Amino acid sequence: MSSVTELLWTEKYRPRSLKDIINQQDITARLMKFVNEKNMPHLLFAGPPGTGKTTAAHALAHDLYGDAYQQFMLELNASDERGIDTIREKVKEFARSKTPPDIPFKIILLDEADNMTSDAQQALRRLMELYSASTRFILAANYPSKIIDAIQSRCAFFRFTSLKKEDVVNRLKYIADKEKIDYEEEALDIIFEISEGDMRKAINVLQASAYLGKVSSDLVFKVVGMARPKDVRDMIETALKGNFIEARELLRKVMIEYGLSGEDVVRQIHREIMGSDIKISEELRVLIADYLGEVHFRIAEGSDEDIQLSAFLAWLSMMGKKLGA
Amino acid sequence: MKIPWIIKYRPKKVDDVINQEEAKSQILTWLHSWLEGRRPEKKALLLYGPPGVGKTSLVEAIVKEYDLELLELNASDYRRTQDIRKTVAIASQKRPLFKRMTLILMDEVDGLSPRGDIGGIDELIKIIPNTINPIILTANDPWKDQLRPLRELVSMVEFKSLTLNQTISVLQNICNKEKIECEREALKFIAERSMGDLRGAINDLESVAEGYGKVTYNIVSLVIKGRDKSIDLWRTLNGVFYAKEAWQAKRSVTNSEEDYETLMAWFNDNVPLKYGDYEDLFRALDSLSRASLFLRRAKSGNWDMLSYVFDLIGPGITFSRKNGELLKNRFSYPERIKIMAQLKGLRESRDRIAGILAKRLHTSQRFVKSDLMQYIIVMLRYGNIEKAAMLSRAYGFNEDDLKYLTGNRYKDIQKEIELLKEGRSVEEKEVSKVRSVEEKEKRHVSLETFGAKPTNKEESKKKYRKSK
Repeated sequence: MSSVTELLWTEKYRPRSLKDIINQQDITARLMKFVNEKNMPHLLFAGPPGTGKTTAAHALAHDLYGDAYQQFMLELNASDERGIDTIREKVKEFARSKTPPDIPFKIILLDEADNMTSDAQQALRRLMELYSASTRFILAANYPSKIIDAIQSRCAFFRFTSLKKEDVVNRLKYIADKEKIDYEEEALDIIFEISEGDMRKAINVLQASAYLGKVSSDLVFKVVGMARPKDVRDMIETALKGNFIEARELLRKVMIEYGLSGEDVVRQIHREIMGSDIKISEELRVLIADYLGEVHFRIAEGSDEDIQLSAFLAWLSMMGKKLGA
Repeated sequence: MKIPWIIKYRPKKVDDVINQEEAKSQILTWLHSWLEGRRPEKKALLLYGPPGVGKTSLVEAIVKEYDLELLELNASDYRRTQDIRKTVAIASQKRPLFKRMTLILMDEVDGLSPRGDIGGIDELIKIIPNTINPIILTANDPWKDQLRPLRELVSMVEFKSLTLNQTISVLQNICNKEKIECEREALKFIAERSMGDLRGAINDLESVAEGYGKVTYNIVSLVIKGRDKSIDLWRTLNGVFYAKEAWQAKRSVTNSEEDYETLMAWFNDNVPLKYGDYEDLFRALDSLSRASLFLRRAKSGNWDMLSYVFDLIGPGITFSRKNGELLKNRFSYPERIKIMAQLKGLRESRDRIAGILAKRLHTSQRFVKSDLMQYIIVMLRYGNIEKAAMLSRAYGFNEDDLKYLTGNRYKDIQKEIELLKEGRSVEEKEVSKVRSVEEKEKRHVSLETFGAKPTNKEESKKKYRKSK
């Protein structure tokens, strides 16, 4: 890689081969066996975000098919595909495509499979049977309990656990040294704490911090703060003070400045009300979450986001006045 | 308190009413015979013509000039048999008090709905022949079937549409008095769209001036899509805010020819200007949010649901106000409509960026949007500029997308990208050596100004020129 190329470090330092994956050793050992036997069942990778599920799937394909493995692997993300029909079309087309020279199957990686409805999963199960002669599915999910039994029973199950502190910190150190950046040891600990074992998030925080200067604990905190639109918190607090009109101006500012969609804003609000930066009673957090969920559902159903969020802010101002008064 | 322009600039004298000379002389002749104690053959007049040409204004000017007592009933008042009996019938028999004659004005008789105003027209037919006080009725469309018996009892007075130039000169006059910058082209645009409806034109003018501070062709052509001739948005809003019964509020909404989304955007922005009590406000916006939900259901094919949309917008908002008084604020153009175009571009950028990154990083676009994107923005807006430029280049973001990600820093990053392109072929190493020294200074700067603004632009520009 030449010195004038700069990539996101999560891309640059993604392990390419199973042997490069330093943690989750019991998992990689089992996967390597499949590589040696040149055969595998359908797989279900379950575990929290940033623990290496997608990486392991790619590494497995890499080790099976070599560097040009991408042509024998179809990657789909259930959160982004527009329903089971588009998935079916893509799978159908892919199943017809060229087969690898000495391995009898191709791989379909379906990421975030737990975001599929159970009806869609039923259809998926039929797809898995229909094309089982020429393809193997790897399903990745945060919550395996959301995957229907009929699919679970057809897959070999792999549970990815949250990364240990030393694994994350060592990896961060490795990257920091490669990138020749200045850092304080303590800052890496902080990054681990903040990212809650999510390697991807940890690396993003490291990279953003490094761009701003010497990676110190203070800097890390600042970067994480900056990465969260502060206006969302201001908006909630302003509304809770009973100031609806000002809160709605903030809402529109956030949407303009960050180009957030209604659903984006709902997610940010959710994060804030369950976070520690906002000082409200625990009971109120639950009430807000309940109402917010309704708002989220309505927006997802296709109703007008500006109107739904306005109603939410009006509700917040009312609650704020009632509880404050 | 601000007074809406249509009230502020309402004609004060009969002479102020423009372009209705024939109507004026017809009305005044009729009125003079009343004043001289000779009751005319036809005891009532029906003024008809398109909305906003001055029917009501002329009557009000006459009342002022001749010092009459005015009893006015308009669309939002009760107009059923018993209501009319209670008010009009009594007034029609009232003896002049201190020689002041009472003039009865009933606006929009063509709006008397057969359903809501049960018997209203029949009652009028009984009253008119026996009245001892002059009665004036107005209508946009006097040829409706339900008005036939009424037409035989009254003298018909026609009001003409205003010409384009007349409308423009009224608007220009208001601009001068309000000291607002108005382009003639913009006024012409408003006048053309109003199709002779002066009230509509003034409302448009005011709402644009209010929302934007000036009236230019660009703004006007963007904001005003074409005025609905039967009931415009402002009338819809007023109709809902001032309705006394559910059916009135609902009718205001169903009569509007604006599309539902626009209508809801207007209510969404104007309810908070009218409802000061926080419970009222919540109830109203909650009702609106459910209207939006029902609209969605209707649009997915279940058109029966549309009726509930009207219920929840109209009466839903009207009767949400239980605690507070209606505030005197003026209506404003929805912020929403102004920012829509801007927002659309930004979201397209976000989607494209998410598409690129999701593919490269093997993750979902949703994750990129909800999580990663913020870190990229921090890197590109506040981070080391050389790295930021390199990163921008590596992912092939287009101009709009880069503008979104880099914010104020777009030009600097663009310049840096150019430098990278040149630097690669020539003396790449030397340049980067010089930079790496500067890097340390710059990091220093960026830490100090941290959080407030992106690093000092002017300073870094100078440095680049030097290093070049």
